[in-house]
Amino acid sequence: MTLDDIPAEQLEVHLHRGDLVIQTGPFRARIRCRIPRVKADLKLMYGHFPCDISPSFADFDISLSKAPYLRRWYKPQVLFFADRQCIFKPLPLSQAFPMLEWGLNWCIANQTTHHLILHAASLERHGRSLIMPAPPGSGKSTLCAALSCRGWRLLSDETTLLELDAAKISGPARPISLKNESVQVIQEFSKDAVLTPPVHDTIKGSVAHMRPSRDSAQSAGVTASPGLVIFPRFQKGAPLQITPTPRSAVFAGLVRNAFNFTALGRTAFHRIADVVSQSEGYDIIYSDLDEVIAQIEELAHGW
Amino acid sequence: MDGSAALREALTHPESILQRTGEELGQLLAAAREAGMLGTLWHLAQIHDIDETIPEALARHLRGGFIRSEHNTEALRWELETLQNTLLNKLPAPIALKGSAYLLRQLPNAPGRISQDIDLMYPSSQVEAAEELLQFEGWTTTHHDDYDQRYYREWMHELPPLQHKVRGTTIDLHHNILPRTFKVRINPQRLWEHSLPAPLPWRYRLLCDEHMVLHCVCHLFSETDWARSIRDLYDIKVLIEHFQQTEGDGFIDRLIHEAEALGLSWILERALTLAASALHLALPERAWQPLKPHQPSAITRPLERSIYLHGINTHATDSPARDTFAQAALFVRGHYLKMPLPLLVKHLTHKALTKTPD
Repeated sequence: MTLDDIPAEQLEVHLHRGDLVIQTGPFRARIRCRIPRVKADLKLMYGHFPCDISPSFADFDISLSKAPYLRRWYKPQVLFFADRQCIFKPLPLSQAFPMLEWGLNWCIANQTTHHLILHAASLERHGRSLIMPAPPGSGKSTLCAALSCRGWRLLSDETTLLELDAAKISGPARPISLKNESVQVIQEFSKDAVLTPPVHDTIKGSVAHMRPSRDSAQSAGVTASPGLVIFPRFQKGAPLQITPTPRSAVFAGLVRNAFNFTALGRTAFHRIADVVSQSEGYDIIYSDLDEVIAQIEELAHGW
Repeated sequence: MDGSAALREALTHPESILQRTGEELGQLLAAAREAGMLGTLWHLAQIHDIDETIPEALARHLRGGFIRSEHNTEALRWELETLQNTLLNKLPAPIALKGSAYLLRQLPNAPGRISQDIDLMYPSSQVEAAEELLQFEGWTTTHHDDYDQRYYREWMHELPPLQHKVRGTTIDLHHNILPRTFKVRINPQRLWEHSLPAPLPWRYRLLCDEHMVLHCVCHLFSETDWARSIRDLYDIKVLIEHFQQTEGDGFIDRLIHEAEALGLSWILERALTLAASALHLALPERAWQPLKPHQPSAITRPLERSIYLHGINTHATDSPARDTFAQAALFVRGHYLKMPLPLLVKHLTHKALTKTPD
């Protein structure tokens, strides 16, 4: 069963009761929520994902609720709970859906110990993966969204997962978070892209989320072998520039972007080394999406 | 069954994990994660030979937690090795407490356990010298506020935690196992007299078995924050069972004798009762007799016992209101025991009026 199979009014009941469990790749999240806007966005973004409404196992126990007391009426706020504990400071009610997304990212980064987690976007094609580790603002989510519009299977735009016993890469394939100008860029890039209405004035500026393709959602969790590691950087008006990255720098770049490298110790070291030895690494500076995608597809030619 | 109860069951009868429904396994996961006991559960699963039968959805979290704890142990061992070769060797060997001690003695609660910091005890005449020596080795104090410094140095049983400026590891330097201002004062001399050298090549000392258990008991029952208290209770249970097994029933008599000598019988009574009812700690019948006079009064007993039972629950619970009440009561109790009332009022007033940075 996917989320789309649940009629809207029933979905509301399940969200209230907290027996809805959505499966995003290797993670199952129980979501409890009474905020109508969240229900609409959830349906739009997670429609293709498998879910369960009978009592079942969940990796994460999440709930979103309106802040109590005066805050019900005066500048209403939303609170995020993981394992029934309040994790973040409250946000304005209008930011409820982005908060759910950020909260789920927090759960993956903080509550999972069975994957090495990279702060990187990743996609799959013909069984091999493209990993793009980069700091916020480098345009990795935009590039990731654009590639997924061109038929690459989305693994993740934020949290790339590496198995602990082999160099196998996967991701939860959750919605791609687009910020500010990127929202319009992607809308213009592909008219098939489905986006949530943008939410303004968040800590990251204006934010909209893009729905993953049906294939990405349903194959989420299927692993890919290493292929390319690309460190992208968007630079307005710059000509496309591609330089091979030395292996040592690819290794350092992956370690720098691993959330739980220290906690997992030598296991993490060996898995990253495996990925590096089986991948080619490049630094790419780009300004035009079509141009950079053509180049990336060239690099992935033999796959 | 809620997650907290499932965790208690799993810690005493690991096979019980196999009886849980999918939903209960999710709650068990949440409880174990909150208590920091994923690695411990995996270790238990391995020694009970059920690591291959536990549903994979839960097993992978436990396995991941265990890998994490293995790395934590490795890091802890490395820090302890490094520390004993620093300037600290100008001083007589300190007593390693808590996680470090369990590791040095290879006690059964060590595998899977995560230690947040290193606890070392020096005689009070040497503890500040140790602090100074560690400052030459890159460890710096963490509480820069004058009041906080005074709070630790004048009233507590440990100095403000030291943090390594590169590695971020923290060390708590103790000179006792309970605050100076606590309701009972412990004579640390007795702890030193009974202490033993750690096995070679370690240059540390260890509390004797009875004192090791009593320290754990003090740690739990002087706490104001009972989050993760289930782990402390589990340590108590496992240590007692292990020492009973290796030394025979005489251990429990010596434990009670030592508690009496240190003025801790009333805390031990509560800890043993709680460990017996929550984690099925089995004690010989005669052990309870000498503890009887130290029971809470008959009027408050049921309430007090129920507060401890709810106090050890995690947020994965079916009784959130009672747990919150119990934890609030334990918070107040912890503070009441920690400082005499006039000092406590002064301390809390100061804390309420000074702004803490976010």
